[in-house]
Amino acid sequence: MKRISTFLLSLVCLAILSSHDMYLKLDQYFLNPFTKTTIQLFNGTFDRSENVIDRDRMEDVSIIYGGERIQPSASKWFEKDSITFLELETKEAATYVIGVSTKARSIEMDAQAFNDYLKHDGITDMLDKRKKDGTLDTPAKELYAKHVKTIVQVGDSLSRDWSTSLNYPIEFIPFKNPYEVHVGHELEIQLLYGQKPLANQLVYVGTQVNELSHTHDGSTHSHASNETQEQAYLTSYRTNENGVITLDIKQEGTWYLRTIHLEELSEGEFTHQSNWATLTFAIGKGHEHENAATTHKHDIKIPTYVYLLISVIIILLLFFAFKKKG
Amino acid sequence: MNKTIRLLILFLILFWATPLMAHDVTSKDHALLANGDLWAYLWVGAKHMLTGYDHLLFLLGVIFYLRKTSDVIKFITVFTIGHSITLLSATYLGIQINEYLIDAIIGFSVFYKGFENLGYFEKHLKFRSPNLLLMVWVFGLIHGLGLSSRLQSFENGSDRIIHKIITFNIGVEFGQIAALIPIVYIISLIRKNKHYPAFYKAVNTYLLIAGIALICFQLILYLKA
Repeated sequence: MKRISTFLLSLVCLAILSSHDMYLKLDQYFLNPFTKTTIQLFNGTFDRSENVIDRDRMEDVSIIYGGERIQPSASKWFEKDSITFLELETKEAATYVIGVSTKARSIEMDAQAFNDYLKHDGITDMLDKRKKDGTLDTPAKELYAKHVKTIVQVGDSLSRDWSTSLNYPIEFIPFKNPYEVHVGHELEIQLLYGQKPLANQLVYVGTQVNELSHTHDGSTHSHASNETQEQAYLTSYRTNENGVITLDIKQEGTWYLRTIHLEELSEGEFTHQSNWATLTFAIGKGHEHENAATTHKHDIKIPTYVYLLISVIIILLLFFAFKKKG
Repeated sequence: MNKTIRLLILFLILFWATPLMAHDVTSKDHALLANGDLWAYLWVGAKHMLTGYDHLLFLLGVIFYLRKTSDVIKFITVFTIGHSITLLSATYLGIQINEYLIDAIIGFSVFYKGFENLGYFEKHLKFRSPNLLLMVWVFGLIHGLGLSSRLQSFENGSDRIIHKIITFNIGVEFGQIAALIPIVYIISLIRKNKHYPAFYKAVNTYLLIAGIALICFQLILYLKA
């Protein structure tokens, strides 16, 4: 079974520390057709962007919908504070995929800085290897690139675009449209590296819930109305032999995945190469399961014309009956 | 076609035309609110009042009983205060009660108004109906919970949430006014007709039937869920 083959490495929470993850984010992932919106490119943490990204650093910017892949012009980008924004004008209803891939850059770190970075960014496999190999005191010169994408729903029409690969060096691809998935469902997501499934890779998953009140240990309390609550932890998963993790969708809101694939290089001027991938999407309210998927709630509506017809007939019959009766 | 029938048809068309045009738009509302500004909340609030036939049936029952304009204003104001209290507070505090149960109670409020308007408390239960104004306020609270559960079913985000709730509430009031104007006008016209008593009984008996149907429908959905 997929669920067994994909195992949860740990439920231990990982504190979000300062890192340089990159995310494509939206305030709302449900958009109207033929409307303008902005997509935010964060470089820092999911909550806070620490710097903007220059256009010349972008290797690819793509929008996929309706089976087409388009590259928006550089003029569609602008910056505000430390966030880079992409103007998007939606077209027909569909599930859209937006991706950004950056060119590789390099960074040199002394041994301690490199170890700290491995620890803070959750690249524990490499940290363990350095411990095991006795190379904790070895500095590093790393080549790194980031490849991020988001999946958004425009209008009501679900399309197959969510499954289209952007052919980035590393990329998350869900097995199902996230906008068909709701609380109580599972969502399998595959991680591809070089277009092949990447097995045994650590993936961190976070959620962000925008709500007016929430519950801790059975007691509910509310927050200030404009406060965004992020669960201050990420859950770690490890991909199975098919490069797949299985998410147990337990809540609505924004979901984000991040992973950093770091490998040692044996030749050239660089000691390591990393490729970073993130994916964001939202889980909506289309229907919901309660109590661990034991119940299922859907909207069931009487067609209005049926209701109208029956109502008119009843009222007319009653009217004539009462009129006759006097 | 005589005048009575023409008035009756006009009433039915005006009362039901809006729901006919704007029903089943939840997913579009979802997208509209997701992208729109506060005007979107105003629009969706008004539309949900106009298309929520259980709310309109209850209002119809309230209006039918009243003859003076001042009474109409008084009762509608009390109903508005009632549903605003629960709409604002339940949404802000994130209180969600099972929507099927709430809708079943709203269905009961429709039945109740028909029962009261037909004088069945005195006739069948042998006691005077509870204070009319108080009951409209109580049912207003219930209707507000229903509206709140609808508002909470949207992705409202966290930005300016109080503004959104209040704007939605204002939209509900606009929708209510838009629905009441033709209802009050048509009822006032029909009231002058010699067949008004038959029409009064027909519509209020229909409220009994519709109320029971709504209760059963929502309880079936609740049990199925």
